[in-house]
Amino acid sequence: MDLFAQLLANGLGNGAHYALLGLGFGLIFTTTRIVHFAYGPVFAVSAFAVWLAVAVGGLPLAAGVVLAPLTAAAAGALVYWLAYRPFERRGMSSHSVLILSLGLSIVLESLLTLIFGPNIHTVPGFAPPIFILGPVFLTGLQIGEVIAVLGVAGALLLFLRQTRYGHAILALSDDRDMARIVGIDTDRISLIVFALGSAIAAVAAVFTLLNEGATPSMGFNPVFVAFVVAVVGGLGSIPGSILGGFLVGLVESLGLWKIPTEWQNSIAFVLLFVVLLARPQGLFAGARR
Amino acid sequence: MTQAITRRAAASVLASGLASGRFPLNRPARAAEPPKDPPVFRIGALLGLGDKANWNATVMQRGILMAVDEINAAGGIDGIKVEAAIEDHQGVPRVGVDALQRLRARYDIQAVLLSYSVVALATAPICEEQKIFMLDGGSVTDGLVGKFSYLYHNRSVASVLARAALTIAKEKGFKKMAVMCASTDDGQSLLRVSQADWKAHGGEIVAVEQALATASNVDTQIAKLRTSDADFLAIWEFSPGPGLVLKRAREFGMKQPIIGVEFTAEIAKVAGQNADGFQYASDYFNPNAGDPWPKRFADAYQKKYGDPPEVYAANYYEGIYVIAELIRRAREAGGDYFKGERLLEAVRAKPRVPSVYGGDMVFQPDGTCLKRVGIFSVKEAKGSFEHFAELAK
Amino acid sequence: MELVLHIGVMICIYAILATSFNLLIGFSGLFAFGHAVFYALGAYITALTALRLHLPFPLPLILSVIGTGLLGLAVALPALRISGIYLVIITLALQVIAIDVIINWTSLTGGPTGISGIPALSLLGKPLTGPAVFLPAAVIAAAACFLIARHIGDSPFGRSLRAMRENESAAASVGKNIFYMKVSIFGVSAALASVAGSLFAYYLSYVGADSFQVSETVLILSMVVVGGTGNLVGSVLGAALLVILPEALAFVDLPEGIAAQLRLLIYGCVLILFLVFRPEGLLREPRRGGRHAVAVSGNAAAELTTAAPAGGVVLEGTGLRKRFGGITAIDALDIQLTRGRVTGLVGPNGAGKTTAFNLLTGFLPADQGDIRFRGQLLRRLRPHELVRAGIARSFQDLRLFAGMSVLENVLVALPRQRGDGLLTLFLRPLLVRRQDAANTSRAMAILDFIGLADRAFDLAEDLSYAEEKLLVVARLIATEAEVLLFDEPLSGLDAGAMRKIIDLLRRLAAGGKAICIIEHNLEAIRSACDQLIYLDEGRALAQGNPETLMADADLVRRYFR
Repeated sequence: MDLFAQLLANGLGNGAHYALLGLGFGLIFTTTRIVHFAYGPVFAVSAFAVWLAVAVGGLPLAAGVVLAPLTAAAAGALVYWLAYRPFERRGMSSHSVLILSLGLSIVLESLLTLIFGPNIHTVPGFAPPIFILGPVFLTGLQIGEVIAVLGVAGALLLFLRQTRYGHAILALSDDRDMARIVGIDTDRISLIVFALGSAIAAVAAVFTLLNEGATPSMGFNPVFVAFVVAVVGGLGSIPGSILGGFLVGLVESLGLWKIPTEWQNSIAFVLLFVVLLARPQGLFAGARR
Repeated sequence: MTQAITRRAAASVLASGLASGRFPLNRPARAAEPPKDPPVFRIGALLGLGDKANWNATVMQRGILMAVDEINAAGGIDGIKVEAAIEDHQGVPRVGVDALQRLRARYDIQAVLLSYSVVALATAPICEEQKIFMLDGGSVTDGLVGKFSYLYHNRSVASVLARAALTIAKEKGFKKMAVMCASTDDGQSLLRVSQADWKAHGGEIVAVEQALATASNVDTQIAKLRTSDADFLAIWEFSPGPGLVLKRAREFGMKQPIIGVEFTAEIAKVAGQNADGFQYASDYFNPNAGDPWPKRFADAYQKKYGDPPEVYAANYYEGIYVIAELIRRAREAGGDYFKGERLLEAVRAKPRVPSVYGGDMVFQPDGTCLKRVGIFSVKEAKGSFEHFAELAK
Repeated sequence: MELVLHIGVMICIYAILATSFNLLIGFSGLFAFGHAVFYALGAYITALTALRLHLPFPLPLILSVIGTGLLGLAVALPALRISGIYLVIITLALQVIAIDVIINWTSLTGGPTGISGIPALSLLGKPLTGPAVFLPAAVIAAAACFLIARHIGDSPFGRSLRAMRENESAAASVGKNIFYMKVSIFGVSAALASVAGSLFAYYLSYVGADSFQVSETVLILSMVVVGGTGNLVGSVLGAALLVILPEALAFVDLPEGIAAQLRLLIYGCVLILFLVFRPEGLLREPRRGGRHAVAVSGNAAAELTTAAPAGGVVLEGTGLRKRFGGITAIDALDIQLTRGRVTGLVGPNGAGKTTAFNLLTGFLPADQGDIRFRGQLLRRLRPHELVRAGIARSFQDLRLFAGMSVLENVLVALPRQRGDGLLTLFLRPLLVRRQDAANTSRAMAILDFIGLADRAFDLAEDLSYAEEKLLVVARLIATEAEVLLFDEPLSGLDAGAMRKIIDLLRRLAAGGKAICIIEHNLEAIRSACDQLIYLDEGRALAQGNPETLMADADLVRRYFR
C-alpha cells in the first residue's frame, strides 16, 4: 500500500511533466498540422539558456527560469519562420515536412553539441526540498510541476478564450481553409502558436534541467512522449492534453507496480495503442478546450 | 563457464597458430629480415561520438589524442610517427561496420580500439577475419570475452567488476541485495555475474529493477527498490545512469548503502551531494602511486582539458601505448611487422605490458586483463581509494 | 576496393528497404512509421533459424519472408481503422514496443547483447564471407525485390493502390476492396523488407536491437522522400545517396575532436537544403497508363446507348430510416429506381438527400427498412461489393483521383480486373497484361463517348471544373453498374456544360441504366428527370413527374421559388 501511494504520487509528478510536453506539442500540431520533431532541440535550447544564465552568468535561479520560455518562444518562432513557413507556402507533402523537421533536429542538436559539448550540464548547488507525507516522499520539483501545469493550462485557456489572437488560433485549429477565407493571417497565427507551444515546453525543460541536468540530446525522448500524450488526450483539446499527460504518467507509474520495470518504455505506447484502437480520435477529444 | 571459455580460446589459439604455420618455430628465420617500416603507424578507433550519450566517447577521444601527441613528441615509435584514425559509430552496429570498412580501405588498418559492446560485437568478426588486432577499453560485457582471438580488453570486465563491488557488501555482512540495472549489454552482464556470486555467497536478491541506459525517469524503479527492504542497493549501470539513481534513491528516503562500478564527473554532477557515501569498484587509477607515469598522465590531462582523467580517458590513452609497445616488439622481430597477426603474436609471446594505472598489466589467455581493482568511496563529489579488492580466484 | 563493395552491399540492403517502404507510403498513402520492425524481424528469424536450427540457405530467408509477411498482415489491421497522423503514431508505438520485446526476450533474442556468430550465407557449399563475394548475392536479391515491387507498382493492383492513396472512399466507390488492398500491401511490403533483414543478418553475422531503432525507420523514410515518393527508381537512388553521403563526409578532413559532430551537422544541412530545393525528391512520380494514343476498342457510344427495354424497378428502398444521435436524417423513406428512367432527388439543404444516397449505396447502414436490388434483399454489403453488384455512386465533392491521369481514373473503375489480385498478378502475368490492354482501350472508348479523349493523359487535377464533372460521369459509367447515383452532377456548371451532361444522362438512361440524381437547378431537373422525389426533413413529401410536382403550389412555396 505504501508503494502504491508512492507510485501514485510519482505518477502525478511525471504526469504533470508529460502534460506540459503534450500541451505545447498538441497546440502546435492542431493549429498548424505540422509534426514538429524539432520540438526536442528547442526544448533543449531553453534548458541551456537557463543553464547559461545561472551557472555561467551567475543570475539567480528565478531570473534564469523566466528566461526559458522567452528563449524557447524565440527559437520556436524562428524555426517556424525560417524552415516550416517557406515549405508550407509551397504546399509540400506531409512526408517532406516530417523529414524537414527531422533534419532540423539533427542540425540543432549537433549545433548544441558543438557549442556546449556533449556532457551533462547541471545547476550547481541546487537541491530541491523534500516533503515527507507519511510513506510518500515528494520533491519540490514534483509539486512545482503540478502547480506549473495547472497555471500554464489556466493561462492558456484564458488567452485562447479572451483574446483576439486566441480566437484566431481556435478558428485556425478548427478549419484552416475557413480561417484563411475569413481573413485570418495564418502565417502570423502559426508564428504565435509556435512561440507559445515552445514556451510551454520550456517550462518542462526547466524542470528537467533541475532534476537531471541538460544534454544536447535531452529533447529526443520528450518529443515522442509529447506526441503520445497529445494523441492519447485527443488532438486539439487542452483539457485532453492535461488529462492525457496525467493518464500516461499514472499508467506508466502504476502499471510498473506489478509489471517488471524493464517494460517501462513500452507502457505508454501500449496505452496509446489501446486508446487509438478503441477511440481513434483520442480519449478526450469531445471535451474541446 | 569461465573455464570452458578459456579452454576454447586456448584451443583456437593453437588451431589458428598451426593452420597458418606461424608458431614460434619459424620465428628466428624472420629475425634475420630487416624490418619493413611503414611511413606512419595508423591506429584505428571506433568511438560513439555521434551517439546520444556520447560524453564517454569524447573522453576516450581525448585520451587517444593525448597519447598520440606524447608518443610523437618523444620521437614516435622507433622514429616513426603514430596517427590515430578515429571514426564515429554513433552507437549503431551497422554504422560501426561502415566505419571499420572505411578504416580498412583508407589505411589498411592493423590495430583498432573498440568501444560500445554491441558495436564491438558487430565489428569484431570482421577484424577477426581480416586479422586486425583489437583492444577494447570500454565495454565490460561478458558477451565478448573468449570469442575472438584478436580481441583484448584493457578494462576489467563484468565478471571482475561485479564481484569486486560485492566484496564491499560481503565485508559488511549484508544479506539482502537490491539491484538497479541498465537494460544494456554491460548492465545485464553485471547482473548475471552478481546474481551468481551473491547466491553462491548465500545472500538473497530481493529486487531487480531495470531501466534503459538513457532513461530520464527512474522513479518507479526507485519506489519499488525502496519497499524491497534490502540491506544495500547495487547499481549495475555506467555513466551517466548512476547519477540519477543515486539522486532519486536518496530523495526518496533510501538510507541503505549503495554500491556500484563507476563514478565519473558526469555522475557526480547529476547526483550532487547525494553521491556521498557511494562505494564503487573500479580499475584503480592512482596518480599518487610510486610509478611516475600515472601522475604524469593525470597532471598533463588535467592541464590540457581541465578535468581529472576518468577511466575511459585512461583506458584509451593506455590503449594507444599498449599497441605502440606491441608494435615496438614486433619490429624487433623484423620483416613485415606492422600486421595484426604480428601484434597478436607479440602479445602472446609476452602478455605483460606497462599500464598507466601503475606497474604492468597482464593479459589473460581469454583476452581480458588482470588489473587491480580498487574499492572507492565518495566524499564531497570525489571518489577516494580505500583498498584493493581481494577476489578469490 | 573492399570499401566500395561494402557500400554496394549496404546500398542493396537499403534499396530493398526503401522500395518496399515506398510501396506503403508512396503508392498506398499508408504512412506507417515502423518499417525497421519488419527489417528486424527478417534479420532475427534468419539469425535464429540459421544459428540455432542450423537450417541451410535458403530456408532461413524463406522463413523470414513468411514470418514477416504475416506480421505485416497483422500490422495492417490498425491501418484499417485509422489513418493519417494516427497511423504514424500507432506504428511508431509498434516500433517502440517491438524493440522492447527484442531487448527483454533475452532467451530468444539474446537481449541487449543480440545474436552473434550467425553462419555465413552458403551457396553450393561456398560460404559468402566478405563484401566481395556477398555483393553479387545482395545485388540479385535487391534486383528481385525491385522487380517484384515494380511489377506491383505498374500493375492494375498498383493503380488501385494509388487510387486508394488519392481517395479511399472514392476507391471503394468504384469497387476496390480497401481491406484486401491494405492488408496485402502491408504483407508484401513487410515480406520484402524482411529480405533486407535476412541479408543484413547473413552479411554482418550479428544482429542486435540497436540496428533497428526508430532512427533506422527515419533513415529509410528519408531515402524514400529524397528519392521521390511514388517512384521506385527514386527509392533506389535515395538509398544510394544517403548511404554514400555520410561515407563521403567521412573522407572530408575536419578539425579533430569535433569532426563527428560537424559531419552530423553537415548531413542535417544537406538534407534540409535538398528538401528546400527539390521537395518532390530526385525523381517525380512517373505518369503511368501510357502517354501515347491508345486504340479505341468498340463503339462505347453505340453500346451504352442502344435502346434497351425500359421499365422494371431495379433498386427499391422501403421504410428507410436513419438517425444520427437525436436527429432523424431519414424517416420512412420509400424510393424506387427504374431502368431507363432518371429519378431526381430534390429538397432543401439538410433534407437528407445525401444520406439517402449513402444508405442506398451501403456507405451507411440503415437503422430500419429494406433495400432490394433486382428483387433481392441487400444485406449490409460494403460499398465495393455494392458496386460490383451493380449500384454505383458519385460524390458531391467529386473525389477524383487527382494525382492520376484522366485515363487511369476511368481505367481503375472498370470491373472484374484480374490484375487486382496479387496472386493472379504473379501467377498469370500474361493474362493480366492482355486484360489490361483491353481495359485500356475500353477506358479510352468511354472517354471518347464522354468527350474527354483528348485529355486522357493529363492529370485529373489539371482538368477544368466542367471536365472534372464529365470525368465523374465517365468513371461511374466505367463501373458498368446498372444503377448510377449522381450527387449534384450539374452544380456549378454553365449552361453548355450542363446541357452536355444532361444529354449524357438521358442517353445512358435510354441505354437501360437506372439513374438517380440529386439536383437543385429547376431547369436542369425539368429537362433531365422523368420522376422526382421531394424530400424534406428526411421524409418523401411528394413523388411524381417534374411537371406535376412543379405545379404543386405548396411545394413551390416551400422550395421551387
